[in-house]
Amino acid sequence: MSAAVIDPHTFDELQANAGADFVAELVDTFAEEAPPLLAELRSALAAGAAERFRRAAHSLKSNSSTFGAHRLAALARELELGGLAADAAGVDALEAELGITVTALKALARP
Amino acid sequence: MSAPAASPAAGTFGRFAILAAERRLLVDGVPVALGSRAFDLLAALVARRDRVVPKEELIDVVWPGLVVEDNNLQVQISALRKVLGAQAIATVPGRGYQFTVAAAAAPSTSGAVAAEAKARPAVRAGHGASQRGARLLVADDNKVNRLLLCRSLELMGHTVASADNGRAALEKLRSEPFDLLLLDLEMPEMDGFGLLEQRTADPAALHDVPVIVTSSLEGVAPIARCIELGADDYLHKPVNPVLLKARVDSSLERKHLRDRQRELLARLAPGAVGEAAPGAATGLRTEATILVARLRELDALAASQPAQETLELLGSWTTLMLDAVESQGGAVLQIAGDAISAAFGAAMPSASGVAPGAAVRAAREMGELMAQFNAERIATGKAPVGLAIGIASGEVVAGYTGTPQRTAYVCVGAAVERAARLEALAGGSAGAVLIDGATRAAVAGRVSTDTVSPAVLPGSSTAVAVHALKPAT
Repeated sequence: MSAAVIDPHTFDELQANAGADFVAELVDTFAEEAPPLLAELRSALAAGAAERFRRAAHSLKSNSSTFGAHRLAALARELELGGLAADAAGVDALEAELGITVTALKALARP
Repeated sequence: MSAPAASPAAGTFGRFAILAAERRLLVDGVPVALGSRAFDLLAALVARRDRVVPKEELIDVVWPGLVVEDNNLQVQISALRKVLGAQAIATVPGRGYQFTVAAAAAPSTSGAVAAEAKARPAVRAGHGASQRGARLLVADDNKVNRLLLCRSLELMGHTVASADNGRAALEKLRSEPFDLLLLDLEMPEMDGFGLLEQRTADPAALHDVPVIVTSSLEGVAPIARCIELGADDYLHKPVNPVLLKARVDSSLERKHLRDRQRELLARLAPGAVGEAAPGAATGLRTEATILVARLRELDALAASQPAQETLELLGSWTTLMLDAVESQGGAVLQIAGDAISAAFGAAMPSASGVAPGAAVRAAREMGELMAQFNAERIATGKAPVGLAIGIASGEVVAGYTGTPQRTAYVCVGAAVERAARLEALAGGSAGAVLIDGATRAAVAGRVSTDTVSPAVLPGSSTAVAVHALKPAT
Protein backbone atom coordinates (compact mmCIF):
# COMPACT_ATOMS: atom_id res chain seq x y z
CA MET A 1 0.00 0.00 0.00
CA SER A 2 2.53 2.54 1.17
CA ALA A 3 4.59 2.14 -2.00
CA ALA A 4 1.94 3.96 -3.97
CA VAL A 5 1.54 6.71 -1.40
CA ILE A 6 5.24 7.45 -1.04
CA ASP A 7 7.69 7.12 -3.88
CA PRO A 8 10.33 4.89 -2.28
CA HIS A 9 13.11 6.21 -4.48
CA THR A 10 12.56 9.82 -3.40
CA PHE A 11 12.26 8.83 0.23
CA ASP A 12 15.39 6.67 0.16
CA GLU A 13 17.32 9.45 -1.45
CA LEU A 14 16.14 11.89 1.17
CA GLN A 15 17.31 9.53 3.89
CA ALA A 16 20.63 8.99 2.17
CA ASN A 17 21.21 12.71 1.80
CA ALA A 18 19.95 14.01 5.11
CA GLY A 19 20.29 10.97 7.38
CA ALA A 20 17.54 8.61 8.52
CA ASP A 21 17.32 10.07 12.05
CA PHE A 22 16.94 13.54 10.69
CA VAL A 23 14.28 12.43 8.22
CA ALA A 24 12.33 10.78 11.05
CA GLU A 25 12.30 14.14 12.84
CA LEU A 26 11.36 15.88 9.63
CA VAL A 27 8.40 13.54 9.23
CA ASP A 28 7.30 14.43 12.77
CA THR A 29 7.57 18.11 11.88
CA PHE A 30 5.49 17.56 8.78
CA ALA A 31 2.89 15.68 10.82
CA GLU A 32 2.69 18.71 13.13
CA GLU A 33 2.74 21.37 10.43
CA ALA A 34 0.32 19.81 7.96
CA PRO A 35 -2.90 19.93 10.05
CA PRO A 36 -2.67 23.72 10.59
CA LEU A 37 -2.15 24.12 6.85
CA LEU A 38 -5.23 22.01 6.24
CA ALA A 39 -7.16 24.16 8.72
CA GLU A 40 -5.90 27.23 6.87
CA LEU A 41 -7.23 25.78 3.61
CA ARG A 42 -10.66 25.30 5.15
CA SER A 43 -10.75 28.71 6.78
CA ALA A 44 -9.54 30.45 3.61
CA LEU A 45 -12.18 28.60 1.64
CA ALA A 46 -14.89 29.67 4.08
CA ALA A 47 -13.67 33.29 3.99
CA GLY A 48 -13.29 33.30 0.20
CA ALA A 49 -9.61 34.27 0.63
CA ALA A 50 -8.10 33.00 -2.61
CA GLU A 51 -4.52 34.04 -1.92
CA ARG A 52 -4.43 32.41 1.53
CA PHE A 53 -5.96 29.32 0.00
CA ARG A 54 -3.36 29.19 -2.73
CA ARG A 55 -0.48 29.68 -0.32
CA ALA A 56 -1.56 26.93 2.05
CA ALA A 57 -2.00 24.55 -0.88
CA HIS A 58 1.41 25.62 -2.19
CA SER A 59 3.09 24.80 1.14
CA LEU A 60 1.48 21.38 1.28
CA LYS A 61 2.52 20.69 -2.30
CA SER A 62 6.07 21.68 -1.61
CA ASN A 63 6.39 19.51 1.50
CA SER A 64 4.74 16.45 0.01
CA SER A 65 7.12 16.54 -2.95
CA THR A 66 10.04 16.63 -0.55
CA PHE A 67 9.00 13.29 0.93
CA GLY A 68 8.02 11.74 -2.38
CA ALA A 69 4.33 11.85 -1.50
CA HIS A 70 3.43 12.49 -5.09
CA ARG A 71 -0.29 11.68 -4.84
CA LEU A 72 -0.70 14.21 -2.05
CA ALA A 73 1.44 16.69 -3.96
CA ALA A 74 -0.76 16.31 -7.03
CA LEU A 75 -3.92 16.97 -5.00
CA ALA A 76 -2.34 20.01 -3.37
CA ARG A 77 -1.14 21.29 -6.71
CA GLU A 78 -4.64 21.08 -8.15
CA LEU A 79 -5.86 23.27 -5.32
CA GLU A 80 -2.92 25.65 -5.66
CA LEU A 81 -3.39 26.24 -9.37
CA GLY A 82 -7.17 25.80 -9.51
CA GLY A 83 -8.14 28.97 -7.71
CA LEU A 84 -10.60 29.12 -4.83
CA ALA A 85 -12.57 25.90 -4.97
CA ALA A 86 -16.34 25.95 -5.32
CA ASP A 87 -16.77 23.41 -2.55
CA ALA A 88 -14.75 21.49 0.03
CA ALA A 89 -14.53 18.28 -2.04
CA GLY A 90 -10.91 18.91 -3.03
CA VAL A 91 -9.91 19.75 0.52
CA ASP A 92 -11.69 16.65 1.81
CA ALA A 93 -9.81 14.48 -0.67
CA LEU A 94 -6.59 16.15 0.40
CA GLU A 95 -7.31 15.53 4.07
CA ALA A 96 -7.94 11.83 3.42
CA GLU A 97 -4.74 11.48 1.46
CA LEU A 98 -2.82 13.45 4.09
CA GLY A 99 -3.86 10.97 6.76
CA ILE A 100 -2.69 8.04 4.64
CA THR A 101 0.52 9.85 3.77
CA VAL A 102 1.48 10.69 7.35
CA THR A 103 0.85 7.11 8.46
CA ALA A 104 2.92 5.76 5.59
CA LEU A 105 5.72 8.25 6.24
CA LYS A 106 5.90 7.37 9.91
CA ALA A 107 6.08 3.68 9.08
CA LEU A 108 8.88 4.30 6.60
CA ALA A 109 10.77 6.67 8.86
CA ARG A 110 10.83 4.36 11.90
CA PRO A 111 10.48 0.84 10.60
CA MET B 1 30.34 18.68 13.54
CA SER B 2 31.83 16.37 16.08
CA ALA B 3 34.06 14.32 13.82
CA PRO B 4 35.40 11.04 15.16
CA ALA B 5 38.82 12.05 16.48
CA ALA B 6 41.23 13.09 13.74
CA SER B 7 41.09 11.43 10.36
CA PRO B 8 44.02 9.06 10.12
CA ALA B 9 47.06 10.42 8.38
CA ALA B 10 47.87 6.99 7.08
CA GLY B 11 46.10 5.10 4.36
CA THR B 12 45.71 4.84 0.65
CA PHE B 13 44.50 7.73 -1.43
CA GLY B 14 44.20 6.81 -5.05
CA ARG B 15 47.71 6.33 -6.28
CA PHE B 16 49.28 7.26 -2.96
CA ALA B 17 49.82 5.12 0.08
CA ILE B 18 51.10 6.70 3.25
CA LEU B 19 52.84 4.40 5.72
CA ALA B 20 52.77 6.40 8.92
CA ALA B 21 54.89 4.09 11.08
CA GLU B 22 57.66 3.82 8.53
CA ARG B 23 57.26 7.46 7.51
CA ARG B 24 57.18 6.44 3.90
CA LEU B 25 55.16 7.40 0.88
CA LEU B 26 54.38 5.04 -1.96
CA VAL B 27 53.22 6.28 -5.33
CA ASP B 28 51.74 3.53 -7.47
CA GLY B 29 53.32 1.10 -5.01
CA VAL B 30 56.81 2.51 -5.44
CA PRO B 31 58.57 4.17 -2.48
CA VAL B 32 59.29 7.84 -3.06
CA ALA B 33 62.10 9.78 -1.44
CA LEU B 34 60.60 12.48 0.70
CA GLY B 35 62.26 14.78 3.20
CA SER B 36 61.28 14.55 6.83
CA ARG B 37 59.57 17.97 6.85
CA ALA B 38 57.78 17.18 3.62
CA PHE B 39 56.52 13.93 5.11
CA ASP B 40 55.29 15.69 8.26
CA LEU B 41 53.59 18.26 6.09
CA LEU B 42 51.91 15.60 3.97
CA ALA B 43 50.74 13.73 7.07
CA ALA B 44 49.36 16.97 8.51
CA LEU B 45 47.49 17.80 5.31
CA VAL B 46 46.12 14.30 4.92
CA ALA B 47 44.91 14.17 8.52
CA ARG B 48 43.10 17.47 7.94
CA ARG B 49 41.94 16.75 4.42
CA ASP B 50 38.35 17.62 5.30
CA ARG B 51 39.22 21.29 5.44
CA VAL B 52 41.54 24.06 4.33
CA VAL B 53 44.50 24.19 6.66
CA PRO B 54 45.88 27.65 7.44
CA LYS B 55 49.57 28.16 6.82
CA GLU B 56 50.23 29.03 10.46
CA GLU B 57 48.72 25.75 11.59
CA LEU B 58 50.87 23.75 9.18
CA ILE B 59 53.96 25.61 10.28
CA ASP B 60 53.12 24.84 13.91
CA VAL B 61 52.82 21.15 13.12
CA VAL B 62 55.86 20.81 10.91
CA TRP B 63 58.18 23.17 12.75
CA PRO B 64 56.86 22.97 16.31
CA GLY B 65 58.06 25.77 18.53
CA LEU B 66 59.99 27.50 15.78
CA VAL B 67 59.39 30.82 14.15
CA VAL B 68 59.39 29.99 10.48
CA GLU B 69 58.67 32.12 7.47
CA ASP B 70 55.96 31.25 5.00
CA ASN B 71 58.36 30.56 2.20
CA ASN B 72 59.78 27.53 4.01
CA LEU B 73 56.34 26.05 3.94
CA GLN B 74 56.06 27.03 0.31
CA VAL B 75 59.20 25.11 -0.54
CA GLN B 76 57.90 21.98 1.17
CA ILE B 77 54.54 22.29 -0.56
CA SER B 78 56.35 22.58 -3.88
CA ALA B 79 58.39 19.50 -3.06
CA LEU B 80 55.21 17.56 -2.30
CA ARG B 81 53.54 18.74 -5.48
CA LYS B 82 56.55 17.56 -7.41
CA VAL B 83 55.90 14.08 -6.11
CA LEU B 84 52.12 14.04 -5.88
CA GLY B 85 51.22 16.20 -8.84
CA ALA B 86 50.25 19.85 -8.64
CA GLN B 87 46.57 19.13 -8.13
CA ALA B 88 46.98 16.99 -5.04
CA ILE B 89 47.45 20.04 -2.87
CA ALA B 90 45.17 22.93 -3.61
CA THR B 91 46.04 26.47 -2.68
CA VAL B 92 43.19 28.47 -1.31
CA PRO B 93 44.34 32.06 -1.56
CA GLY B 94 44.33 33.77 1.79
CA ARG B 95 43.27 30.62 3.61
CA GLY B 96 45.88 27.93 3.28
CA TYR B 97 46.23 24.54 1.67
CA GLN B 98 44.11 21.44 1.26
CA PHE B 99 44.94 17.90 0.28
CA THR B 100 42.50 16.88 -2.41
CA VAL B 101 41.77 13.21 -2.45
CA ALA B 102 39.92 13.41 -5.76
CA ALA B 103 43.00 14.76 -7.48
CA ALA B 104 45.15 12.16 -5.77
CA ALA B 105 42.85 9.42 -7.01
CA ALA B 106 43.05 10.51 -10.61
CA PRO B 107 45.26 8.29 -12.69
CA SER B 108 48.23 9.99 -14.24
CA THR B 109 47.73 8.34 -17.59
CA SER B 110 46.60 10.74 -20.24
CA GLY B 111 43.32 10.78 -22.05
CA ALA B 112 41.41 8.80 -19.47
CA VAL B 113 37.84 9.87 -19.98
CA ALA B 114 36.83 8.03 -16.83
CA ALA B 115 39.00 10.36 -14.85
CA GLU B 116 37.09 13.34 -16.14
CA ALA B 117 34.54 13.40 -13.39
CA LYS B 118 37.09 13.10 -10.65
CA ALA B 119 39.96 15.17 -11.87
CA ARG B 120 38.63 18.65 -11.84
CA PRO B 121 41.14 21.41 -12.30
CA ALA B 122 42.91 22.00 -9.02
CA VAL B 123 42.01 25.63 -8.89
CA ARG B 124 38.36 24.75 -8.84
CA ALA B 125 38.89 22.16 -6.19
CA GLY B 126 40.78 24.73 -4.21
CA HIS B 127 38.10 27.32 -4.39
CA GLY B 128 35.50 24.71 -3.68
CA ALA B 129 37.35 23.82 -0.55
CA SER B 130 37.51 27.41 0.52
CA GLN B 131 33.75 27.52 0.59
CA ARG B 132 33.45 25.06 3.38
CA GLY B 133 32.60 26.65 6.65
CA ALA B 134 30.84 29.60 5.09
CA ARG B 135 28.08 31.37 7.01
CA LEU B 136 24.76 30.92 5.32
CA LEU B 137 21.31 32.25 6.02
CA VAL B 138 18.16 30.35 5.10
CA ALA B 139 14.91 32.31 4.87
CA ASP B 140 11.84 30.09 4.55
CA ASP B 141 8.54 30.23 6.40
CA ASN B 142 7.84 26.55 5.88
CA LYS B 143 9.37 24.63 8.74
CA VAL B 144 9.94 21.36 6.87
CA ASN B 145 11.66 23.15 4.01
CA ARG B 146 13.68 25.28 6.36
CA LEU B 147 14.91 22.37 8.48
CA LEU B 148 15.80 20.30 5.45
CA LEU B 149 17.66 23.10 3.72
CA CYS B 150 19.58 23.93 6.91
CA ARG B 151 20.45 20.29 7.36
CA SER B 152 21.67 19.87 3.78
CA LEU B 153 23.87 22.95 4.06
CA GLU B 154 25.25 21.90 7.43
CA LEU B 155 26.19 18.55 5.98
CA MET B 156 28.24 20.47 3.41
CA GLY B 157 30.19 21.92 6.31
CA HIS B 158 28.59 25.34 6.52
CA THR B 159 27.30 27.23 9.51
CA VAL B 160 23.65 27.96 8.97
CA ALA B 161 21.25 30.44 10.54
CA SER B 162 17.61 30.67 9.62
CA ALA B 163 14.72 33.10 9.52
CA ASP B 164 11.06 32.35 8.97
CA ASN B 165 10.18 35.51 7.07
CA GLY B 166 11.79 38.17 4.94
CA ARG B 167 11.83 40.84 7.61
CA ALA B 168 13.57 38.62 10.13
CA ALA B 169 16.07 37.65 7.44
CA LEU B 170 16.73 41.31 6.65
CA GLU B 171 17.41 42.04 10.32
CA LYS B 172 19.85 39.16 10.53
CA LEU B 173 21.59 40.31 7.35
CA ARG B 174 22.01 43.78 8.79
CA SER B 175 23.31 42.62 12.14
CA GLU B 176 25.81 39.93 11.19
CA PRO B 177 27.88 39.01 8.17
CA PHE B 178 26.74 36.21 5.88
CA ASP B 179 28.35 34.69 2.82
CA LEU B 180 25.14 33.61 1.13
CA LEU B 181 21.38 33.86 1.50
CA LEU B 182 19.01 31.11 0.43
CA LEU B 183 15.69 32.77 -0.03
CA ASP B 184 12.19 31.43 -0.32
CA LEU B 185 9.73 33.60 -2.22
CA GLU B 186 6.39 33.18 -0.50
CA MET B 187 6.69 34.28 3.10
CA PRO B 188 4.60 36.32 5.50
CA GLU B 189 5.69 39.80 6.72
CA MET B 190 8.05 40.34 3.83
CA ASP B 191 8.30 37.96 0.91
CA GLY B 192 11.38 37.09 -1.09
CA PHE B 193 10.73 39.72 -3.74
CA GLY B 194 10.40 42.35 -1.04
CA LEU B 195 13.69 41.33 0.46
CA LEU B 196 15.42 41.46 -2.92
CA GLU B 197 14.03 44.96 -3.46
CA GLN B 198 15.31 46.04 -0.06
CA ARG B 199 18.66 44.62 -0.93
CA THR B 200 18.88 46.84 -3.99
CA ALA B 201 17.71 49.85 -2.00
CA ASP B 202 20.19 49.27 0.80
CA PRO B 203 23.26 48.13 -1.07
CA ALA B 204 25.78 49.15 1.54
CA ALA B 205 24.50 46.55 3.98
CA LEU B 206 23.21 43.84 1.73
CA HIS B 207 24.69 44.00 -1.67
CA ASP B 208 27.67 41.85 -1.00
CA VAL B 209 25.61 38.86 0.07
CA PRO B 210 24.74 36.72 -2.92
CA VAL B 211 21.24 35.28 -3.03
CA ILE B 212 19.99 31.94 -4.29
CA VAL B 213 16.22 31.81 -4.54
CA THR B 214 14.59 28.49 -3.71
CA SER B 215 10.94 28.14 -4.54
CA SER B 216 8.35 25.76 -5.83
CA LEU B 217 6.46 28.49 -7.62
CA GLU B 218 5.75 27.38 -11.15
CA GLY B 219 6.45 29.17 -14.39
CA VAL B 220 9.33 31.34 -15.49
CA ALA B 221 7.88 34.70 -14.43
CA PRO B 222 9.04 34.47 -10.80
CA ILE B 223 12.48 33.32 -11.92
CA ALA B 224 12.82 36.22 -14.32
CA ARG B 225 11.73 38.68 -11.67
CA CYS B 226 14.26 37.32 -9.15
CA ILE B 227 17.12 37.56 -11.59
CA GLU B 228 16.07 41.10 -12.48
CA LEU B 229 16.15 41.93 -8.81
CA GLY B 230 19.71 40.70 -8.58
CA ALA B 231 19.40 37.12 -7.35
CA ASP B 232 22.37 35.01 -8.38
CA ASP B 233 20.52 31.83 -8.96
CA TYR B 234 17.19 30.04 -8.73
CA LEU B 235 16.55 26.52 -7.50
CA HIS B 236 13.28 24.68 -7.71
CA LYS B 237 11.97 22.94 -4.61
CA PRO B 238 12.25 20.20 -3.65
CA VAL B 239 15.88 21.10 -4.02
CA ASN B 240 18.10 18.45 -5.51
CA PRO B 241 21.08 18.12 -3.13
CA VAL B 242 23.64 17.81 -5.91
CA LEU B 243 22.38 20.93 -7.64
CA LEU B 244 22.19 22.69 -4.31
CA LYS B 245 25.82 21.99 -3.60
CA ALA B 246 26.91 23.06 -7.07
CA ARG B 247 25.00 26.33 -6.96
CA VAL B 248 26.04 27.15 -3.41
CA ASP B 249 29.69 26.46 -4.23
CA SER B 250 29.51 28.58 -7.34
CA SER B 251 27.89 31.52 -5.56
CA LEU B 252 30.40 31.32 -2.73
CA GLU B 253 33.23 31.16 -5.22
CA ARG B 254 32.10 34.39 -6.81
CA LYS B 255 31.68 35.94 -3.39
CA HIS B 256 35.14 34.78 -2.43
CA LEU B 257 36.62 36.41 -5.50
CA ARG B 258 34.80 39.67 -4.78
CA ASP B 259 36.03 39.59 -1.19
CA ARG B 260 39.56 39.01 -2.39
CA GLN B 261 39.33 41.98 -4.67
CA ARG B 262 37.99 44.07 -1.83
CA GLU B 263 40.89 42.87 0.25
CA LEU B 264 43.22 43.98 -2.48
CA LEU B 265 41.68 47.41 -2.49
CA ALA B 266 42.20 47.55 1.25
CA ARG B 267 45.79 46.55 0.74
CA LEU B 268 46.35 49.11 -1.97
CA ALA B 269 44.94 51.88 0.16
CA PRO B 270 43.79 51.14 3.70
CA GLY B 271 40.53 52.83 4.56
CA ALA B 272 39.22 53.12 1.06
CA VAL B 273 37.08 50.01 1.22
CA GLY B 274 34.64 51.32 3.78
CA GLU B 275 33.71 54.18 1.53
CA ALA B 276 33.59 52.15 -1.62
CA ALA B 277 29.86 51.91 -2.06
CA PRO B 278 29.23 49.33 -4.73
CA GLY B 279 27.26 50.70 -7.60
CA ALA B 280 28.76 54.11 -7.27
CA ALA B 281 31.96 54.34 -9.23
CA THR B 282 34.51 54.79 -6.50
CA GLY B 283 38.18 54.41 -6.94
CA LEU B 284 41.55 55.59 -5.88
CA ARG B 285 44.88 56.35 -7.37
CA THR B 286 47.76 54.42 -6.00
CA GLU B 287 51.20 53.16 -6.83
CA ALA B 288 51.27 49.49 -7.68
CA THR B 289 53.27 46.89 -9.51
CA ILE B 290 51.33 44.78 -11.95
CA LEU B 291 52.38 41.32 -12.99
CA VAL B 292 50.89 39.52 -15.97
CA ALA B 293 51.80 35.87 -16.54
CA ARG B 294 50.76 33.70 -19.44
CA LEU B 295 51.09 30.04 -20.19
CA ARG B 296 52.77 29.64 -23.57
CA GLU B 297 52.27 27.11 -26.30
CA LEU B 298 48.76 26.46 -25.10
CA ASP B 299 47.18 26.77 -28.54
CA ALA B 300 49.31 23.96 -29.93
CA LEU B 301 48.69 21.78 -26.89
CA ALA B 302 44.96 22.42 -26.86
CA ALA B 303 44.72 21.35 -30.49
CA SER B 304 46.61 18.12 -29.95
CA GLN B 305 45.41 16.81 -26.58
CA PRO B 306 42.04 15.90 -25.06
CA ALA B 307 40.09 18.88 -23.78
CA GLN B 308 40.08 17.49 -20.26
CA GLU B 309 43.86 17.42 -20.25
CA THR B 310 44.02 21.04 -21.29
CA LEU B 311 41.67 21.99 -18.48
CA GLU B 312 43.72 20.02 -15.98
CA LEU B 313 46.85 21.71 -17.22
CA LEU B 314 45.23 25.12 -16.84
CA GLY B 315 44.01 24.22 -13.39
CA SER B 316 47.43 23.12 -12.20
CA TRP B 317 49.09 26.09 -13.79
CA THR B 318 46.68 28.56 -12.23
CA THR B 319 47.17 26.95 -8.83
CA LEU B 320 50.94 27.35 -9.08
CA MET B 321 50.69 30.95 -10.23
CA LEU B 322 48.24 31.82 -7.47
CA ASP B 323 50.66 30.28 -5.03
CA ALA B 324 53.50 32.46 -6.16
CA VAL B 325 51.38 35.62 -6.09
CA GLU B 326 49.96 34.77 -2.71
CA SER B 327 53.30 33.95 -1.14
CA GLN B 328 54.59 37.42 -2.02
CA GLY B 329 51.55 39.23 -0.71
CA GLY B 330 50.11 40.07 -4.11
CA ALA B 331 46.47 39.91 -5.05
CA VAL B 332 45.01 38.34 -8.13
CA LEU B 333 43.15 40.76 -10.34
CA GLN B 334 42.05 38.42 -13.05
CA ILE B 335 42.24 34.79 -14.01
CA ALA B 336 41.62 34.45 -17.70
CA GLY B 337 42.30 30.89 -18.70
CA ASP B 338 45.92 30.86 -19.74
CA ALA B 339 46.74 34.25 -18.21
CA ILE B 340 46.60 35.76 -14.76
CA SER B 341 47.23 39.28 -13.64
CA ALA B 342 48.10 40.32 -10.13
CA ALA B 343 48.71 43.55 -8.30
CA PHE B 344 51.33 44.23 -5.69
CA GLY B 345 50.34 47.31 -3.76
CA ALA B 346 52.47 50.13 -2.58
CA ALA B 347 50.69 50.14 0.76
CA MET B 348 51.68 46.58 1.53
CA PRO B 349 52.91 45.83 5.03
CA SER B 350 56.30 47.22 6.00
CA ALA B 351 57.97 50.00 4.10
CA SER B 352 56.65 51.50 0.92
CA GLY B 353 58.39 50.69 -2.30
CA VAL B 354 58.42 46.95 -1.61
CA ALA B 355 55.89 46.15 -4.29
CA PRO B 356 58.28 45.94 -7.26
CA GLY B 357 60.55 43.61 -5.29
CA ALA B 358 57.63 41.43 -4.29
CA ALA B 359 56.45 41.19 -7.88
CA VAL B 360 59.92 40.22 -9.08
CA ARG B 361 60.18 37.56 -6.36
CA ALA B 362 56.77 36.23 -7.39
CA ALA B 363 57.99 36.05 -10.99
CA ARG B 364 61.06 34.12 -9.91
CA GLU B 365 58.94 31.78 -7.88
CA MET B 366 56.64 31.24 -10.83
CA GLY B 367 59.68 30.30 -12.87
CA GLU B 368 60.84 27.80 -10.25
CA LEU B 369 57.40 26.28 -9.86
CA MET B 370 57.11 25.94 -13.61
CA ALA B 371 60.49 24.23 -13.80
CA GLN B 372 59.25 21.63 -11.30
CA PHE B 373 55.96 21.36 -13.08
CA ASN B 374 57.70 20.78 -16.41
CA ALA B 375 60.00 18.18 -14.89
CA GLU B 376 56.89 16.37 -13.78
CA ARG B 377 55.32 16.67 -17.22
CA ILE B 378 58.43 15.41 -18.96
CA ALA B 379 58.59 12.46 -16.56
CA THR B 380 55.09 11.45 -17.64
CA GLY B 381 55.86 11.87 -21.32
CA LYS B 382 54.18 15.24 -21.79
CA ALA B 383 55.55 18.31 -23.49
CA PRO B 384 56.85 21.05 -21.22
CA VAL B 385 55.03 24.37 -21.27
CA GLY B 386 56.46 27.84 -21.35
CA LEU B 387 55.82 30.91 -19.27
CA ALA B 388 55.89 34.57 -20.21
CA ILE B 389 55.77 37.31 -17.59
CA GLY B 390 55.55 41.07 -17.82
CA ILE B 391 55.96 43.37 -14.84
CA ALA B 392 55.34 47.13 -14.75
CA SER B 393 55.10 49.69 -11.98
CA GLY B 394 53.27 52.96 -11.83
CA GLU B 395 50.13 54.72 -10.82
CA VAL B 396 46.92 52.81 -11.25
CA VAL B 397 43.29 53.54 -10.54
CA ALA B 398 41.64 50.77 -8.57
CA GLY B 399 38.06 50.42 -7.50
CA TYR B 400 34.62 49.07 -8.09
CA THR B 401 32.42 49.91 -10.98
CA GLY B 402 29.17 48.62 -12.33
CA THR B 403 25.50 48.67 -11.42
CA PRO B 404 23.81 47.82 -8.12
CA GLN B 405 23.24 44.30 -9.42
CA ARG B 406 26.66 43.63 -10.84
CA THR B 407 29.88 45.14 -9.71
CA ALA B 408 33.31 44.47 -11.01
CA TYR B 409 36.62 45.29 -9.51
CA VAL B 410 38.85 47.13 -11.90
CA CYS B 411 42.46 48.14 -11.87
CA VAL B 412 43.46 50.35 -14.77
CA GLY B 413 46.37 52.52 -15.70
CA ALA B 414 49.42 52.74 -17.87
CA ALA B 415 51.24 50.17 -15.72
CA VAL B 416 48.50 47.60 -16.31
CA GLU B 417 48.72 48.11 -20.06
CA ARG B 418 52.48 48.06 -19.96
CA ALA B 419 52.63 44.80 -17.99
CA ALA B 420 50.33 43.14 -20.52
CA ARG B 421 52.45 44.38 -23.41
CA LEU B 422 55.66 43.28 -21.77
CA GLU B 423 54.16 39.85 -21.29
CA ALA B 424 53.20 39.76 -24.98
CA LEU B 425 56.74 40.74 -25.90
CA ALA B 426 58.20 38.13 -23.58
CA GLY B 427 55.95 35.52 -25.07
CA GLY B 428 56.88 36.52 -28.57
CA SER B 429 60.60 36.23 -28.50
CA ALA B 430 62.66 37.56 -25.66
CA GLY B 431 63.36 36.12 -22.20
CA ALA B 432 60.68 34.78 -19.92
CA VAL B 433 60.39 37.79 -17.58
CA LEU B 434 60.40 41.35 -18.86
CA ILE B 435 60.17 44.32 -16.51
CA ASP B 436 59.77 48.01 -17.18
CA GLY B 437 62.12 50.80 -16.25
CA ALA B 438 60.23 51.84 -13.13
CA THR B 439 60.31 48.32 -11.72
CA ARG B 440 63.96 47.91 -12.54
CA ALA B 441 64.81 51.22 -10.84
CA ALA B 442 63.09 50.00 -7.69
CA VAL B 443 64.91 46.67 -7.58
CA ALA B 444 68.25 47.89 -8.92
CA GLY B 445 71.18 46.39 -7.06
CA ARG B 446 69.13 43.44 -5.83
CA VAL B 447 68.45 41.66 -9.07
CA SER B 448 70.37 41.62 -12.28
CA THR B 449 68.80 42.39 -15.59
CA ASP B 450 69.73 42.61 -19.22
CA THR B 451 68.57 45.68 -21.01
CA VAL B 452 66.61 44.60 -24.02
CA SER B 453 65.49 47.92 -25.25
CA PRO B 454 64.33 50.57 -25.72
CA ALA B 455 61.67 48.59 -27.47
CA VAL B 456 58.37 49.42 -29.04
CA LEU B 457 55.88 47.25 -27.24
CA PRO B 458 53.15 45.46 -29.16
CA GLY B 459 50.13 47.70 -29.41
CA SER B 460 52.08 50.83 -28.61
CA SER B 461 53.81 53.42 -30.73
CA THR B 462 56.49 54.85 -28.45
CA ALA B 463 59.61 53.05 -27.36
CA VAL B 464 60.05 52.35 -23.64
CA ALA B 465 62.78 50.83 -21.53
CA VAL B 466 62.53 47.05 -21.28
CA HIS B 467 64.70 44.83 -19.13
CA ALA B 468 64.90 41.09 -19.04
CA LEU B 469 65.22 39.54 -15.63
CA LYS B 470 68.25 37.27 -15.39
CA PRO B 471 67.77 33.90 -13.76
CA ALA B 472 68.56 33.95 -10.07
CA THR B 473 71.97 32.50 -9.28
